[in-house]
Amino acid sequence: MFNIILLSSLTMKTISLIPSWAQHYEEFWESVKIRNAWFIKLRYSAVFMLVAFLTTTGLLFRISFTPVQFYAISSITLSIFLYNIVLARLQKNLKYSDEGFNPIHFSIVQMVLDLYVLCLLVYYSGGIESPLFLLFIFHMVIGSMILPRFVIYSSACLVILVFSGIVFAEYSGLIAHHSIAGFLKDPFYNNLSYITVILSVFAFVLIITVMLANEIANKLYKMEENLLDSLDKLRAVEIEKENYITGVVHEIKTPIAAVQSYLDLILGNYLGPISAKVEEKLKRTRSRSDEAIQMINNILKISRLKILDDLGKDELDIKRLVCSAHEKLKVQIESKEINFSMIDNRKNKRKILGDKFLLEIGFSNILSNAIKYVNKCGKVIISIADSLNSVEIKVCDNGVGIPSGESENIFQEFFRASNIKHKGYEGVGLGLTVVKQIITKHNGTITVQSPSSLASESHPGTCFTITLPTILTHS
Amino acid sequence: MAKIAIIDDDPDIIDASSLVLTSKGHEVITANNPDDGYKIVKENSPDLIILDVMMNEPDDGFFLAQKFRKNNINTPIIMYTSVSKTTGIDYGVNEMVPVNEYVEKPISPAQLIEKVEKLLHQNIER
Repeated sequence: MFNIILLSSLTMKTISLIPSWAQHYEEFWESVKIRNAWFIKLRYSAVFMLVAFLTTTGLLFRISFTPVQFYAISSITLSIFLYNIVLARLQKNLKYSDEGFNPIHFSIVQMVLDLYVLCLLVYYSGGIESPLFLLFIFHMVIGSMILPRFVIYSSACLVILVFSGIVFAEYSGLIAHHSIAGFLKDPFYNNLSYITVILSVFAFVLIITVMLANEIANKLYKMEENLLDSLDKLRAVEIEKENYITGVVHEIKTPIAAVQSYLDLILGNYLGPISAKVEEKLKRTRSRSDEAIQMINNILKISRLKILDDLGKDELDIKRLVCSAHEKLKVQIESKEINFSMIDNRKNKRKILGDKFLLEIGFSNILSNAIKYVNKCGKVIISIADSLNSVEIKVCDNGVGIPSGESENIFQEFFRASNIKHKGYEGVGLGLTVVKQIITKHNGTITVQSPSSLASESHPGTCFTITLPTILTHS
Repeated sequence: MAKIAIIDDDPDIIDASSLVLTSKGHEVITANNPDDGYKIVKENSPDLIILDVMMNEPDDGFFLAQKFRKNNINTPIIMYTSVSKTTGIDYGVNEMVPVNEYVEKPISPAQLIEKVEKLLHQNIER
């Protein structure tokens, strides 16, 4: 009979086995996968308990098995162990999709096999007298969590029918009764009213339990689905918001770009000569408007990070990325006469996998930060070292440093350390937020240390340590 | 000296670019929307077109560039962009984006002159 169910289950259209509420397929398959794996683990425990049952209960409870019972229960235990090994292997090769033999089919196969051996186990341990028949309820509760209503209700009815069939067949002498000697003083498998009451209560409890468990599971899944829907909506709103910000920021950038274009014209003497005093003030105006553009660019970068969750997957050499950042900031390094050096201590020289554009922004921001906060003729050292699976980039300076207790906040949006706020350094505190987001998106970490290894009494300096995972390809 | 068409909806960018280019002796014709831009190019056959990527719509510049190429106007095009480098959108130069060079706003006079001279020079060589 179970085989009939198995066959009919396997020939059923797959889509009908996937509950209607399981619209987020990935999550649905993931939960089925976890439960299937859990079944397998649970079955190994069942094998262990059955072995314990066979070997120790005789001593503990003064009961004894007949040779038929002993061999039957031993064979059942061995079968469970063997088919569980096969199921564990099968599960590894399962495809998590609604095509072909899928995890739902796998759950049904497991359930049918378990019910089959449970029926045998109950039969050989005393039928209606065996406490093991309560495991049917436990089994149905687990099934209710995964399977659609019609499958689980059909299974529950079948369990009631088969168990009642065994009990009545034993009562009427159609099949042999295997009671456990020493367990009961007076056997009751031949007491019609007693077995009728027990079976009725069992059927009632089983159906109600299945109904409740299935109802609760459905509600939970629906709640999960609503939650995922809400998350999707939130994400869509977030993208819309970021697109709006990009648009607005672009609108703000346009007039500033026009102002800068005029300033460049005047400073380039395209409109005739200007006095040194005017030139100085215009240069200052140009530098302040540059900051505004930088700020706008940072906001655009953050928006892009939020909009585009999918990162580029370029194979990158970390040294090249650092050199490219250095190249971009060469003018500032030279104009501040900074003592810049780069030390490459890598042994494996493995590449990293990531978004070239974003990582370039990250390293430019961290280096420009160092340049900004060192004094004229200050020192900036970048050192690169690697282990087997990661690369570590240290950017150390002997600049103003970060006051103690403020290091933790340094990566927060719009946070500016108290010492730089008071010393007139311009900026809005977005650069390090961008860096942190970029590094985190690449499964890396960034930490900050102040005073740095280059610290002196008046210049504590800062050291940023970035760690990124590497891939097998060598530079 | 060359005739250069500047198509941009920002009058100040047109003005600033015109000042830079006229200072180098070039003749400048201007338009502040894609329709007028197409018209001045068709009527005056300039040696170079400077085109803003975002006008009324964010991709007006691209469509106008494609329209020029579809109608066999193969004049070199410099495209002004504002957010491309910042947001990492690498437009590149290809069939879909038939322009020859990009200049990021704010416009640096030196960079603009360099790119204009380069394209004009290439055009003469052809």
